[in-house]
Amino acid sequence: MFGIAPKRESLVAGEAQWERFEVEAMPHAASLFRIALWLTRDQTEAEDLVQETLTEALTSFHRFVQGTNCRAWLVSIMYHRQSKRRRDVTRLRLVSEAEERIAETIAFEPPTPQGLTDEEVLGALERLPPAFQEVVVLADIEEMSYKEIAAAIDVPMGTVMSRISRGRKLLRAELATYAQAHGFGRSGEQRTSEFPKNG
Amino acid sequence: MKCREFREIADSYLSDELIVETNHDVISHLEQCAECRRELAARRELRSKLREAFIKAPENQMQPEFTDRLSTELHEYALGKRNAPIVSPRASQSSVMLRRTSWLALAACLVLAAGFGLVLVQQRISKPQQPGNREFAGGNPTPNYSSEINPAIPVSIVKTELAKSAVGDHRDCAIHFRLAEKPIDLEVAGRKYDPVYINLTKAVLSQQADAPLDAQFVEAHSCVFEGRRFAHIVLKYHGRLVSFLVTDIGRTKEPKADAARTLVDQQPHVIACSQIDGYQVSCFATARHAIFIVSDLPEGDNLGLALALAPSVFAHITRTENAA
Repeated sequence: MFGIAPKRESLVAGEAQWERFEVEAMPHAASLFRIALWLTRDQTEAEDLVQETLTEALTSFHRFVQGTNCRAWLVSIMYHRQSKRRRDVTRLRLVSEAEERIAETIAFEPPTPQGLTDEEVLGALERLPPAFQEVVVLADIEEMSYKEIAAAIDVPMGTVMSRISRGRKLLRAELATYAQAHGFGRSGEQRTSEFPKNG
Repeated sequence: MKCREFREIADSYLSDELIVETNHDVISHLEQCAECRRELAARRELRSKLREAFIKAPENQMQPEFTDRLSTELHEYALGKRNAPIVSPRASQSSVMLRRTSWLALAACLVLAAGFGLVLVQQRISKPQQPGNREFAGGNPTPNYSSEINPAIPVSIVKTELAKSAVGDHRDCAIHFRLAEKPIDLEVAGRKYDPVYINLTKAVLSQQADAPLDAQFVEAHSCVFEGRRFAHIVLKYHGRLVSFLVTDIGRTKEPKADAARTLVDQQPHVIACSQIDGYQVSCFATARHAIFIVSDLPEGDNLGLALALAPSVFAHITRTENAA
């Protein structure tokens, strides 16, 4: 009773839906994969998560409102799926009080260093507490608005704004400390050798 | 605006998240302050560097084979040529657990999986039952079928806020996992709130064990949607999530509910169908409970699943109600 081949009408409707989906949603697959990889820290799990997300999006595509931000909608679905995956196997990832306190204590802000390498910038991002990394990735790399981030990770917008501000501040502080330790800073300043000079 | 104030909001300025008035203040300040212009340029450069480095990092690239497979499988899924190219939540969790838990926990997991039985039963009704045919071969009550709503079926249930709540619960719990209140274990909820929840999963899964359906058990719990408690069993059928929901309707003293209960008492096995917010809803009822099957499957598939599961579930709930 249930294994009937798709009828011609449903094939036509399916093809039309796929064409829309291919144009609207599929271009965001690479972006989804980056976020999935960040969330899972595992290539295979990230691929599974992207596949689940896009499948659910395709199933629910009639609910996507044309003209709104499709990537934000997809990221929101991905977060819900990931939260479901985590629900029974890991504890919820919350911002610990200690992390909040660390962020609060950055009273002085040194000037933002320039002339950094990709590795240095990514290394500093990796060293941020996860909850701050998360919002910095979504805001500054995936270029989602504060409102879209709040909807995707399901926290109040005020919390998102506060975390983004603290996350960026922590990142700059991390890089400034690094630049100071290695003897460079603002653009134009001479970058010293990585190795101590003889004599 | 002072330099300190500017630095607090410089990033929001770069993200275009400031209101017009504040934006204007920032621009005015930048016109006068060379140091803040340098700081803004440095932050812009840092953001650009961060984005570029992250996006082009080799480990952040999708494998071409995965990209091709993803596109092909989704296309075929859209055309209905294959089931969802999806890793089941249970399977994913298991893979995570494989890496993160001890072998003892894994063994416990496998025992549980075997206990529940991941595969449900094959539909044994090859075509819909005709109205009036209420006896099943095994003596169990058989649901009647109607493709259209008629006065003899529980329209009062399938067309009410109750059905909308069931759809809302399916959407917010099974699909989007965004309920305000965390779901609790179904057996625990059975001891605390409603005894029909106890062994309800078994009643669903043991249904037609001799003729398995091509459906998978995903999870069972009790959850609350807009103040109404449901027993919620999530299944996957033809690649789509299906919610099997049971809720108590027998404790209200409202005259309408009493009337519905009387109707249900007379016609206990009928199934009504409706479409709410784009979801297919099939419904049947016992003396004190309404049972909903909600999904975005085609109407025939959703109803077919309801017809297949109804007899044993109806028997289980009725037995428990009578014993209470």
